[in-house]
Amino acid sequence: MSDNTTQPAGEQAVEQAQAKEFSAAPSRTLWGDAFQRLRRNKLAVAGAIWIILMVIIAISADLWVPQTLGNPTQTDSTTMASMSRLPPSLEHPFGTDTLGRDVLCRVIYGARISLAVGVLATAISTLIGLVMGALAAYNGGIWDTIIMRFADIFLAFPYTLFVIAMLAVIGPGIQNVFIAIGVLGWPSIARVFRSAILSVKENDYVDAARAMGASDARIIVRHIFPNSVASIVVYATMNIGGAILTESALSFLGMGVVPPDPSWGIMIQDGQTYLATQPWLMIMPGIAILTTVLAFTLLGDGLRDALDVKMKDA
Amino acid sequence: MLRYIARRIIQFIPVFLGVTLILFVMQNVVPGDPIKLIAGEKKLDPQTEINLRASYHLIETDENGAPIFDEEGNTIETPLWKRYISYITGLLHGDLGRSYQQNGKEVTKILSQKYPYTFKLAVVAIVLESIIGIAAGMVSAIKRYSAWDVGVTLVTSGLVAMPAFWFGMLQQLFWGILMKQWTGGGFYLPISGTGGPYAEFPSWVYYILPALTLAAVSTAYTARIMRSQLLEVLNQDYIRTARAKGLSRRAVIWRHALKNALIPVVTYIGMDFGGMLAGAILTETVFNWPGVGFETYRAISQRDWPIVMGSVTVIVIVVMVINLIVDISYAFLDPRIRFDGSNNE
Repeated sequence: MSDNTTQPAGEQAVEQAQAKEFSAAPSRTLWGDAFQRLRRNKLAVAGAIWIILMVIIAISADLWVPQTLGNPTQTDSTTMASMSRLPPSLEHPFGTDTLGRDVLCRVIYGARISLAVGVLATAISTLIGLVMGALAAYNGGIWDTIIMRFADIFLAFPYTLFVIAMLAVIGPGIQNVFIAIGVLGWPSIARVFRSAILSVKENDYVDAARAMGASDARIIVRHIFPNSVASIVVYATMNIGGAILTESALSFLGMGVVPPDPSWGIMIQDGQTYLATQPWLMIMPGIAILTTVLAFTLLGDGLRDALDVKMKDA
Repeated sequence: MLRYIARRIIQFIPVFLGVTLILFVMQNVVPGDPIKLIAGEKKLDPQTEINLRASYHLIETDENGAPIFDEEGNTIETPLWKRYISYITGLLHGDLGRSYQQNGKEVTKILSQKYPYTFKLAVVAIVLESIIGIAAGMVSAIKRYSAWDVGVTLVTSGLVAMPAFWFGMLQQLFWGILMKQWTGGGFYLPISGTGGPYAEFPSWVYYILPALTLAAVSTAYTARIMRSQLLEVLNQDYIRTARAKGLSRRAVIWRHALKNALIPVVTYIGMDFGGMLAGAILTETVFNWPGVGFETYRAISQRDWPIVMGSVTVIVIVVMVINLIVDISYAFLDPRIRFDGSNNE
């Protein structure tokens, strides 16, 4: 206590105030910081809310949709004629389709397929891309050359066309859509991750870790991955929207999800015939695609700004 | 410069071989025996079947194309590597095999009849994309944060997030049905040649909606890239110098900023040509456009794999060649690529 008495009273007060300020400041981790910034981005928040809403609706669909709106796939031959292609009403907010099924009900179940394809296909391509990118960047040399040439070969194909050709080979069906979109999407993620690793790898703390005897695997998992995860999160978020668009195009061409399963692409294709008379049949699923993909794009943009990830524009 | 071009071309060869290998593997692991697909429900007599197999190079033949038999009188299946060699020699000679339907017509012949339509459509789309995209992006950058800028951002975000085929249908709905008394409802019909109820329209009218649909996503990207590039260039020192010398803002933008801002935009548009050929499958399906895309869609539904793979092959090769040309011309335009591109891999 004797120390205190030697200090001028004013200085002491300042020190106390500073201490108070530090303890009151929120913890400043990368993710906490990014979350604060993301929260101020209204568009990104809107996108996130929409996605959460869609996920909740899609997951809980079995609990309330069949009871209120009917079955998304089954048709009832006795009422089919009278129920066919009814305009939107209170009972059927989005109208009914040719086989008398409620369109809103099918849009909701379609959300399950679209979100599943978006997330799973992105997970597959991210996983493959991470492994390939890490192998290329960390080992360098011949590994780098081979993997990146391999990626070049994949990237030489226009993406949608490649997926179409792949599905022509393995046949339509939802599992095959996951596989085709997922497996063919890895090169761009591998490139992003590779360049992220290359920039992180030069940091002193990586050298320090190596000097302390850390193994390659440990360096990648403990040091490089956490420092490049931001760019992966941003990339994956944006990729989900792209995968949803690709799935809708495939289903529209009849190469994706097999009817009677409800996919937004199939619903648009069904509605095309009745464009002139019952346009809601194609408008509603299209709006579902537009809003969902837009939500992922907005969230991705927001994350990119919040996490300060440098990416090429567009 | 020559070294750069040579290096790019040398890099091109393994990619080309890899791409053709992938295409070949895809074509040859397609489930289902091609002969069964050709025959359909019909029952073929053994001799016809052998001849068919020989004509599709599925079994070994002599120089005259007659099938070779082993000691037991069975045909010999051609090994895959031999088929790959004959596939790649065929490819280099412009031979893409023969259709399973259409009486075994050559794929090259079928596609070459369809390509002019797709090509014309893609050219119109590129022109629309360049004019609309560059203009919209320029105005957006010059009047940053104005109502126009916000509008362009909204529209481009929407266009990028919607399926192009859906956008095409919305246009059919709007122009063909809601605006019927004005357009006569025939705006989106395929080019029908002469006659028909809407023959009074000149044929170029029928290009508008499919071309807009095909160009939609690319136009959005062009506008975005143009905007960000011009903003970046306008921030640079030499622009400030030009302004300080007393040049008007207009002169600075048109004479000094635009040229540099355009380089990446032109690259994007060039590389996008291949993307358009791929996007044509969806657009042509929506508009019943008689091009390669529609033919591919038809072939998919009829499981006529040689046509599907043939059109994929052509598009991929066109894309690769265009990318190569764009890369090389980029080096002509921008000296920085030529000199430090080599360390930047």
